[in-house]
Amino acid sequence: MAYQLYRNTTLGNSLQESLDELIQTQQITPQLALQVLLQFDKAINTALANRVRNRVNFRGSLNTYRFCDNVWTFVLNDVEFREVTDLVKVDKVKIVACDGKNSGSNAAE
Amino acid sequence: MGPKLYKSVIEDVINEVRELFLDEGVDEQVLLELKTLWENKLLQSKAVEGFHTEEQAALQTAQQQHPHSQQAQQVAQAAPAQQVIQIPSQQQAPQQQVIVQDSKMIQHMNSTGMTAAATAATLALPTGVTPYQQLITSQGQLLQVVRAPNGTQYIIQPQQQIVLQNQMQPGGVQAPIIQQVLAPLQGGLPQQAGVIIQPQQIVLAPGNKVQGTTQVMQAAAMAPQPGQAAAAQVQQGAAVAAAQAPAQPAAPQQQPQAQPQAQQPAMMVQLDGTGDSSSDEDEDEEEEYDEDDEEEKDKTGGEDGQVEEEPLNSGDDVSDDENQELFDTENVVVCQYDKIHRSKNKWKFHLKDGIMNLNGRDYVFSKSIGDAEW
Repeated sequence: MAYQLYRNTTLGNSLQESLDELIQTQQITPQLALQVLLQFDKAINTALANRVRNRVNFRGSLNTYRFCDNVWTFVLNDVEFREVTDLVKVDKVKIVACDGKNSGSNAAE
Repeated sequence: MGPKLYKSVIEDVINEVRELFLDEGVDEQVLLELKTLWENKLLQSKAVEGFHTEEQAALQTAQQQHPHSQQAQQVAQAAPAQQVIQIPSQQQAPQQQVIVQDSKMIQHMNSTGMTAAATAATLALPTGVTPYQQLITSQGQLLQVVRAPNGTQYIIQPQQQIVLQNQMQPGGVQAPIIQQVLAPLQGGLPQQAGVIIQPQQIVLAPGNKVQGTTQVMQAAAMAPQPGQAAAAQVQQGAAVAAAQAPAQPAAPQQQPQAQPQAQQPAMMVQLDGTGDSSSDEDEDEEEEYDEDDEEEKDKTGGEDGQVEEEPLNSGDDVSDDENQELFDTENVVVCQYDKIHRSKNKWKFHLKDGIMNLNGRDYVFSKSIGDAEW
């Protein structure tokens, strides 16, 4: 099973909200919604692995770090994200990273 | 980041789940609706550029106004629909708090004296539930205390448009009305829930029969197990709070007799918040506190640095709120790590397959390398 990591993204959240609306109006069952989310996990993991080919660099100051259940969580301040084309600056960013080796082995976020 | 990636993901997901939908017997229409909802939300988020054609974008803005009015109508329609109270045969596990603010327990209305509103409300009740008592709130609303066949009691407010709020409001502000809240008055008025009636004032309007307070207490006290009557904590003025002290079943019964004498003036209910009346206690506590503080000052030899108590060491506080941007988004990166390295306080991040949301916009990467100092 693929990581459920990507559910908390624009794409993932909008899917979850849409599914919730359909559940509210009882057009689908929660079980079916869960199946859809699982399918989403697979699709997004595959898409990122196969259809994305760019690099980003960043630099900033590390505010906090946490490593728990093989998940790293960082909070950085005053960060610059640099791609070839453009530069994005933020005051604060949270990075959540799951283990990239054997990415298929862990389903929990 | 172009829209193609997200679109392809959406297409993939929709196609893959089509079978699932059919297996469950769900119509294809629902699947399309899911896709539409999903895409619309993405559009609204503006996280991706140029997600749709211009036509669809124009259609989207038109639709954005429409759903709002639809939602307003739906809320309005839902409210009266919910007036028919559904009391399940089994007790509902989640217990709710009914906070009836600013309520004045004025009258007890016998069954013979039911108003038309009360009659209508009674008729709306499911079978087997008989109205037990009626209370009138400050807004003149009719509260019904209802006894269900299994012996538990509920307070029903069969009125409309209600928002449940847990705030104490200053006196004089109209309390928000609570819609269709069933508060089982169980034997012990368990601490999580039950009825919390927090009147700012219990005013027995002059000339009224002073039975209202009694009846409230009776309502609370009349439980299958009088030993745990919530009215135990009823003080003069009939405030009902969470049950703790051992019940006094005799008390409610005695009070009707004492009522004619006790034309009570407006009593402040002893509850925390703006209605708090424990001023005596506070004063005592403050005095003690001051004394302790003075002693400490004497002991330390009269430091000049700290004159007041509050800013003590407040300079050590670290606040995260100071540097927040105007944007609401918390900038998040969700990804996988290849390697995380640290040397003293220098950290290096090797990340991959990430989705970033920065300043409201979405970005993706296949690889990312970062540096930071801790």
